[in-house]
Amino acid sequence: MDAKRETPPAGRSRVLRLVVNGDLHEVLVTPRHTLLDVIRGELGLKGTKEGCTTGSCGVCTVHNDRGEAILSCLTPALEWDGESITTIEGLESGGRLAPIQQAFVEHHAVQCGYCTPGVIMSAQAILNATPEPAEADINDGLAGVICRCTGHIKVKEAVRNAWRYAGGAGPAPGGSHD
Amino acid sequence: MTDGRAPPPGPGLGVIGRRQPRLDGFDKVSGRSVFADDIELPGMLHGRILRSPHARARIVRLDTTKARALPGVKAVVTNGDAPDLVFSERQPLLAKGFVHYVGEEVAAVAATDPFIADEALRLIEVEYEPLPAVTSLRRALQPDAPLVHEWAAGNVAVTHDRDFGDPDAAFAESDLVITDEFRSPVQHNTLAEFHVAIADFSNPDKLHVWTPTQSAPMYQMALAKAFGLESSQVRIVYGNVGGAFTGRGRAKPHHFVAALLSRVAARPVKIKATADEEFIMFRGSGETLYRFRTGVTRDGRIRALELDVTFDAGAHAEWAMILWLPALYPNWLYRFEGLRYRGRFVYTNTVPKGSNHGGIMGRMSAGWMQHLTRVAEELGLDPAEFHRRNAIEAGDHARDGSDFGSCGLKECIDRVVERSGWQVKYGRLPPYRGIGIGIGAQASGGKNASNDTSAAMVKIADDGRVTLFTGIPDLGQGSWTVMAMIAAEVLGIEPADVNVVGGDSDIVPFDWGAFSQRGTFMTGNAVKVAAEDARAQLASVAAAALGVQAEDLVFAGGRVHIRGEAPDAPGRSLSFREAVAKAFHGGEGRYVMGRGFFNSPRQSGSMAFSFGAQVAEVEVDPESGAVRVLKVTVAHDLGRALNPLAVEGQLDGQVFSGLSQVLYEECRMDAGQVLNPSRLEYKLPRTWELPEVDYTLVETIDPYGPFGAKEVGEGPIVVTMSAVAAAVANALGEPLPQMPMTPWRLLRVIRHHRRRRARGAPGAAPR
Ligand code: FES
Ligand code: FES
Repeated sequence: MDAKRETPPAGRSRVLRLVVNGDLHEVLVTPRHTLLDVIRGELGLKGTKEGCTTGSCGVCTVHNDRGEAILSCLTPALEWDGESITTIEGLESGGRLAPIQQAFVEHHAVQCGYCTPGVIMSAQAILNATPEPAEADINDGLAGVICRCTGHIKVKEAVRNAWRYAGGAGPAPGGSHD
Repeated sequence: MTDGRAPPPGPGLGVIGRRQPRLDGFDKVSGRSVFADDIELPGMLHGRILRSPHARARIVRLDTTKARALPGVKAVVTNGDAPDLVFSERQPLLAKGFVHYVGEEVAAVAATDPFIADEALRLIEVEYEPLPAVTSLRRALQPDAPLVHEWAAGNVAVTHDRDFGDPDAAFAESDLVITDEFRSPVQHNTLAEFHVAIADFSNPDKLHVWTPTQSAPMYQMALAKAFGLESSQVRIVYGNVGGAFTGRGRAKPHHFVAALLSRVAARPVKIKATADEEFIMFRGSGETLYRFRTGVTRDGRIRALELDVTFDAGAHAEWAMILWLPALYPNWLYRFEGLRYRGRFVYTNTVPKGSNHGGIMGRMSAGWMQHLTRVAEELGLDPAEFHRRNAIEAGDHARDGSDFGSCGLKECIDRVVERSGWQVKYGRLPPYRGIGIGIGAQASGGKNASNDTSAAMVKIADDGRVTLFTGIPDLGQGSWTVMAMIAAEVLGIEPADVNVVGGDSDIVPFDWGAFSQRGTFMTGNAVKVAAEDARAQLASVAAAALGVQAEDLVFAGGRVHIRGEAPDAPGRSLSFREAVAKAFHGGEGRYVMGRGFFNSPRQSGSMAFSFGAQVAEVEVDPESGAVRVLKVTVAHDLGRALNPLAVEGQLDGQVFSGLSQVLYEECRMDAGQVLNPSRLEYKLPRTWELPEVDYTLVETIDPYGPFGAKEVGEGPIVVTMSAVAAAVANALGEPLPQMPMTPWRLLRVIRHHRRRRARGAPGAAPR
């Protein structure tokens, strides 16, 4: 219950230097701020969603500088001093969607969209590690996110077909390729 | 995947039937979509709620002095600040002297940041005197159980009894009568977007609330009543909604608390469920007990049905309106002589319950279809044939007064039997493999909970771009895209040329919202009427310009042309944009705005019903008890697939959620506490647990639906739950009396079989 929850000590604020989507930010944070608090609160990047805040839903997924998926709700912001991360806002370039984003649109891998930024970041992390992922790679890479709406079926279809959307123009809208 | 799923676009239709990616896709995949949690208002405070840790207790002392003194705290409220504020039934918004369930709202604070709000909650001193509590349905029904409310004898909150035909005579005339019992657990809606509300009641004449909802009018009415306002003085903003799954039909206490805090602080206040709070403040489905009795003739005709359903209401009967539904449901599926329904809502000292994805029909069908499968098997009949023999047909007039303008139930059964290989598999699978069939029906809206009106408006700018105003919330199902498709089809333009404006009750015309599967049917019809109104205005202008009658014009492919002539015949046709410009820049200076509303001519009930059948195949691991769903074969009569791509999404999600509920989902309760309040412990299927799904869309082109469409938003999950449950029963050789069908429950059955087999008892092995 809330009443019993211990509020962590406020601690001393410190300056966090963090590169987000290529831009350097310097923000004052306390030890109890998570990376997600900083992304959404201090930096106002609302694309990354906040769900459970306890690592169980995956909607807060962002990338570290190696393009690996990180649950930003679980990690204290100050541990990221001097690091570089990518959020959903950093996937597109010049207003053009990344292939995985385009694949999500075309394959209807997005419904309510609340999980979508986290699911897409997880999906992109799979592709960063294995450009041609096998079924098991996709299953493992998406294991930490829950998409209640799509049942992951079209999400997996979009990940399998993302390569088709590389280089801009993709196949016909609403296409299904397997 | 399969070829069964995508019907060709209808003849003469340009947009309807197309695989249309959602129009808000770009915003949703790029992180641009704004949800309630993303909104920051100037001066916004953060609210937190102090909740009861007891299932039942007297509040001996409640002292907020220290909390009020904490710097940064701008409001602290208890019942004393709003003694007359009633949330629902006789339930005060904030506990008055007593608490009746774990999680009940006792006090609330608003502060300049969430950490300070947390700290303030900790500073509120409450002393409770715990009282004997009733925290399970079984206990509540015992004669010596303490009373949750002294006015409710036997803890019964509400009852609903209803007979159709003469059930006693029908049972008496039956050759065989079979009875089964079933039980379903407490389940959570597991919304992707947690409960959240931002209220701005700084101006006492206007309450603004940003929150996800299925029905803005219901929220407006409830909040207006509580705060002494008119509905129009309450504005609900619900742009993007992170899923609903029947969990956002009614305003919940946090909406009211946020409003109250905002009124006191005269600043906007945001309340968002924290991690486990999401599992404490929910209104999912309560524990439910079912007794099914069916009387049949030897040749497999259903004569008599009896359904007896006991719901755990929780501490307040907020959702008593679901009580009447199971009485009607069998009327939409089977022909019979008599039906008896007995339903009751029972109080317990637990959080008030609502419903979960699939509503009451889903969980009931998981038991009822197992029961009916057993009835068929006792008669020596194939269950698929049994369902088919008793199925209603188009043109039937049911005993509850329902009429079926279109009905593809038998065709759905035939399709899934064919596509699943039912004939070669049923009764012939190896041990611990199972196959099951379920059928279901769903009303597309209806005048049971509301008058069911939807309205829509269309405006057309002189550049030819159309803006559609609709109150239907898009919960993810793709309503806004399909409404744009309907308007585009009527006006002969592209869906991308239609800008949908929704999600703000100050702007959109009235719409009851997205519940009871009314969106496509009711709102779709309203949008069609509004677009037709706009088209008629354009047609009269274009007809005058082309020197023909308005009736001779066709709107298609972005052009207005004369029927039977080439769409681009020079001098004999106009582009849509030219037609609009002629209206606006012509002598009349007409600005085209179309309006429409839709309401059923029926006095009660629904105008249309969708139907479905599914076959599930499962494999049970006899060592672990784990069930793997191998394949689900779906056939759904949805009238017409307006957007087959979105329809598939609906089917996928419902197969996922249906098997999840039957096999996994359960709030494990102890003394009114949820023991597994997170998605790590409350299991949902992961990526590797998804079955192969084979879809067939059966298009019966409903006479009343927009372009023939009916619902596809909840009908399928009811059938998935039926089929999966029947398949597990088939794998084990006996019905399972309880869901979810978890490994340990299955192991109990498997071990029992093994012991009996070891003793040489007959009939103990799975077939
Ligand atoms: S918010 Fe749920 S895992 Fe981070
Ligand atoms: S799209 Fe709604 S949870 Fe994934």
